[in-house]
Amino acid sequence: MNETEIATGERVTEGDLLVILRHSPHGSSWLREGLDTALVAAAFGQRVSLLFSGDGVLALLDGQQAGALGQKGTHGVIDMLAMYDIETLLVDAHALISRGLSTEDLLLPVSVVEGAALPKLLDQHRLVLNF
Amino acid sequence: MILHLLNRSPATAGTVDDALAAMGPDDRLLLIEDGVLGALPAQASLFTGLAGRLFALREDLAARGLLERCAEQANIVDVEGFVTLTEEADKTVSWF
Repeated sequence: MNETEIATGERVTEGDLLVILRHSPHGSSWLREGLDTALVAAAFGQRVSLLFSGDGVLALLDGQQAGALGQKGTHGVIDMLAMYDIETLLVDAHALISRGLSTEDLLLPVSVVEGAALPKLLDQHRLVLNF
Repeated sequence: MILHLLNRSPATAGTVDDALAAMGPDDRLLLIEDGVLGALPAQASLFTGLAGRLFALREDLAARGLLERCAEQANIVDVEGFVTLTEEADKTVSWF
């Protein structure tokens, strides 16, 4: 993870690929596909950042289980992120607040992003993929 | 400059809020597919901060009968204009 000091004094993360995860676990395959994309990119040596936004913040929630028919969730993949050197985990502040959640509800330590830091984050990555 | 592409109707989906929150001061927004519903005058208040940076795809407007119903602030571009906008941007980000 690289950080650059920008004019306002905020620290902005930069990298090769920013994956934005905006869908919740179980409801669709978007989240899993986004995480898979991140793992593949990391396996090829790309510096990957993950931004959990909207319902995507649920991917980090503590206490997740398999689905009603035994479908695997995505929490197992979250545990694997560190193994793939994906250590830049960012969460949209608004997404947490509007769901009544805080960083203490989450499986892993994250950095919270809000306001003007969000566009800067997109700007600082060579490629941005939305899931 | 990033070209943001929105293909969900701002009238029914919150996707537009995610897109707007991620847009920098020079970024552009192109409404495509159901996103072109955002070009209706009734949705105009969503995009007041995007003067000169809001675009809507002509083909998708025409298909929906919206071509003559657009707000002034939406710059109408055809597919060739889409290509030009893409060329002018450092990268594109899709919101769906």
